[in-house]
Amino acid sequence: MTMLELRRVSKVYGQGPAQVHAMREVDLAVEPGTMVAVMGPSGSGKSTLLTIAGSLEEPSAGQVLVGGQDLAALSRNDKARLRRRSIGFVFQDFNLLPGLTAAENVALPLELDGVSARKAHQAGLRELDALGLADRAAHFPDQLSGGERQRVAIARAVVGGRQLLLADEPSGALDSANGDVVLRMIRTACAQGVAAVVVTHDAQLASWADRVVFIRDGRVIDQTVPAPGPESLLGQHR
Amino acid sequence: MSALTRTRRRGGGVPARRAVMRWGWRLFRREWHQQLLVLGLLAVAVAATVWGACVVTNTQLPSATYARFGTASAMATLPGSDPALTADVAAIADRWGPADVIETQRITPAVQLRAERPRGHYDAPLLALVDGSYPAGAGQVALTAQVASRYGVQVGGTWQPAAGSSWRVSGIVANPSNLADQFALVAPGQIARPSQVSVLLGPAAAQAASGGTLPGVQAAAVSFPDGFAGGISPAVGVLLAEGLGLAFIGLLAVASFSVMAQRRIRALAMLSAIGATERQLRLVLVANGLVTGAAGAAVGTALGLAAWFGYAPALQRDTGHVVNPAHLPWWAPATAAILAIAMSALAARHPAKSMARVPVVAALSGRPAPARAKHRSIVPASIVFAIGLALLALSDGLNAVDGGGGSNGTKHALLLLAGLIATITGICLLAPLAISVLAAGASHRLPAAIRIALRDLVRYRARSGAALAATTFAVFLGMSICIAASVKFDDPLDWTGPNLASNQLIVPTQTSPGPGQIEQLSGTQLAALSGAVNGLAASLHARSAVPLETASTLYQAGAQPHGPQNFTGTVFVATPRLLATYGIKASQIAPGTDVLTMRPGLAALPRMELIWDSGCTGRCAGSPVMPGTSGGPPCTLSNQCLPDPVIATIASLPGGTSAPNTLVTQNAVRKYHLQPQLSAWLIQAPAPLTAAQLSTVRQFGRSYGVSVQTRTGNPSLGDFAAGATALGLLIALSVLAMSVGLIRSETAPDLRTLTATGASRGTRRMITAATAAALGLLGAVLGLAGAVLAGMAWTRSGPSATAGGVPLLDIVTLLAGLPLIAAAGGWLLAGREPEAISRQPLQ
Repeated sequence: MTMLELRRVSKVYGQGPAQVHAMREVDLAVEPGTMVAVMGPSGSGKSTLLTIAGSLEEPSAGQVLVGGQDLAALSRNDKARLRRRSIGFVFQDFNLLPGLTAAENVALPLELDGVSARKAHQAGLRELDALGLADRAAHFPDQLSGGERQRVAIARAVVGGRQLLLADEPSGALDSANGDVVLRMIRTACAQGVAAVVVTHDAQLASWADRVVFIRDGRVIDQTVPAPGPESLLGQHR
Repeated sequence: MSALTRTRRRGGGVPARRAVMRWGWRLFRREWHQQLLVLGLLAVAVAATVWGACVVTNTQLPSATYARFGTASAMATLPGSDPALTADVAAIADRWGPADVIETQRITPAVQLRAERPRGHYDAPLLALVDGSYPAGAGQVALTAQVASRYGVQVGGTWQPAAGSSWRVSGIVANPSNLADQFALVAPGQIARPSQVSVLLGPAAAQAASGGTLPGVQAAAVSFPDGFAGGISPAVGVLLAEGLGLAFIGLLAVASFSVMAQRRIRALAMLSAIGATERQLRLVLVANGLVTGAAGAAVGTALGLAAWFGYAPALQRDTGHVVNPAHLPWWAPATAAILAIAMSALAARHPAKSMARVPVVAALSGRPAPARAKHRSIVPASIVFAIGLALLALSDGLNAVDGGGGSNGTKHALLLLAGLIATITGICLLAPLAISVLAAGASHRLPAAIRIALRDLVRYRARSGAALAATTFAVFLGMSICIAASVKFDDPLDWTGPNLASNQLIVPTQTSPGPGQIEQLSGTQLAALSGAVNGLAASLHARSAVPLETASTLYQAGAQPHGPQNFTGTVFVATPRLLATYGIKASQIAPGTDVLTMRPGLAALPRMELIWDSGCTGRCAGSPVMPGTSGGPPCTLSNQCLPDPVIATIASLPGGTSAPNTLVTQNAVRKYHLQPQLSAWLIQAPAPLTAAQLSTVRQFGRSYGVSVQTRTGNPSLGDFAAGATALGLLIALSVLAMSVGLIRSETAPDLRTLTATGASRGTRRMITAATAAALGLLGAVLGLAGAVLAGMAWTRSGPSATAGGVPLLDIVTLLAGLPLIAAAGGWLLAGREPEAISRQPLQ
């Protein structure tokens, strides 16, 4: 079953002369275990695609299905539950909650879903261990490096067996070494069946994807399977 | 993961709530200092309530006569001259017992010898052992601490009050309900010839008594205690005041929590992105409110209790009865704390709901949700304000405040309360509409920074309107108190203010053995006191002690018999010596003048009467039997009443409420054959009395059993007005500090643009200063105008009569000081470089 499917999705902001078409009839399908990179210039609608796919925004037209469920048919609470159970977000600027330790940040989606604090904590520790952060579990976000924070964010995005990972410039605030580590982790998650959509400007990182979608002025203008090495993407659709 | 899946609940259940609450608590721990204002205000409100409830509960005894009756229902008093004294006492105890018999005999002017059985049926509030033991037989005595101190004796020592009499001191005792009660306690039967015997009795005697005596015991005069103060506890009043205070703190808390919510907007959005429901998002902020409320309540309760335990000894000194610090109305602190927590949680609900509705994407980008300005009509607000003014006009002015008595007093108090609530509501609804005025003021001739500030206030009127309403309310509060105080202080009948100047003291010619008890000194005692008073005056370097005589009182016919509108204070006789003390020459007094006064407006009052020979020349004015009063005979000379006496105003008389501020002239004394009686001596020292001199004066009073009056802490109009102005200013500045920060944070992107176009730190400072000053000035003008209008309605008089008495300094402080201080604060606190990037990383 397709994990994420966008069918002729459009998004319009504003009204009248101030109207902006952020997305125009975008079609996209992401299968489990697949990593899709979305590339395009600033203002092309990449982030809008991600937020609509993650149920954070509603499309002006078209249909979004996550795990076969039509988002339009879900209430706000149902969408929140879907995000808790199926969708994980990773943002450029980490977005870990201050005041919670790394383990608590990772366990939070489970706790919000009603899993007991003890079990959620154990699950959080397992995810951190898998990402090599077991020794940082009790640290607060401001005690972690940028790379560590983003790894914690990835752990939070996949904890509880979520199948769709949406990442918006996950390596944008990291150096290249840490950026590689983060992408490798997303890749590892995909190898375990997670479907991932990664928005990036970086051709080097997009080369990690199974498929690269090019978007401009809200339209998908091309999709390609990257050849090994980033050079294959560098000349395209700049 | 299957184990996890099985345990998941639809709404997250308890684990979700616990997780969210935990985060709220952690955030509070990290950022509590950003909520110091609300925390502080809550703590102060709770502390004041706890302290106030403890004070009002312990200030009053169960009844005014508690110090004489204890828990008895009646007291039969028999004179020592009763030939069948022993038989009568026995008969009373036999028929209406159980009874407590108290035999008394005054052995010095200040000390009473008292024979009484300790631990009787009704006298627990009247007799307590402080040290040693009660006297058990002949030759033993227990003294109060003052008597022991005066005679320099201790437990185990020998007390010799007069030649030939000697007792061994077995202990120190006290009357817990009247610590000024000076007596020497001996065992029952040890007073051979008591001057009086009092028998405390139960309800049976109270029911049997008729015609002021007991059947079969004609010599016994029966009296009854005042009714116990029932009804609503005074602590309830304190809690109501806290409720009003908390309502205002709630407004500030809403603004403070809104700021907090704005600061956490991206964290909340992230929480939403990982699957938190709206309810869980709201819970984060409500939890913060709960924690803030609980912390404020805990700190406030601790402070209030500490203040109470510290103040209890002083209260005991002031009230003159034993104050047990552990006697607390525990329900009051508990209710105060619960109210504070509930208010804080309620205040957090509004920003919580607003934040939960912000679109996640907008919140993630850190853009604060623009508050939507609702179009409001001026009509409903004006109607509410007009209703408020009408209710104030119907509330009968000061009578509503002073509780003129009876059901009318209650009705007027309710009208006043409803009027105040409606007026304040009307002002708070009208004030935001005045924001548009700022748009008109933002002319292109103004400097760009000021223009931007004014236009931003109009653009973000949803927040600036609320801030203006709160500022207006704060100024209204301060100015209303000033106006009410000035009206009260301007009342020539119910004269208010400090009792005496700090260099004055008054020595009365009466003793006061207990609350409400007055005993005229005997001729011998008076002669002794007179000589001593002159010595006291000399020791204070005063020229002399001026005798104060009374012969009459003033009354305004048609006023309420016991109402506060009638004359308060004592009318002394204008003896040449008294007039000379104040440099008033006989030639200054016009022939035919009956009364001299310094009270402005008294001379112009209609229906005034001078009353004499009523047996009541002091504060008992208004007794129904007095001529000219309701139910009394008409005011004619034959009834010892002079209608419309000629009253002249002389400003050089002293202004204290106990000082001779109103005098009956010698001319009137002669003309109407008044009979002056010596009632006190006035001593006027050349300089304010020192602590040592005051101590000497008190010692003097104790020696002669009289309560010497010196200056008390009663505030003057200036004290009241200054306090109210400071209160209004402080609250208004607190409101401005928070709301200006909020408004400027909303316009932060514009500030970044401005900085990018080259605006200096000075420009940024000017924008914030102008924002604060504009809100402060508009709030001050509206609050002042509202208070004057409300005052005019309340007093049913013009603006000069209403606010004319308010010190000009206070008006200027609010009108000019508030915007200036706000501008200075804004200037100093602003100017920081705005964030260079549009989005701040969360972590």
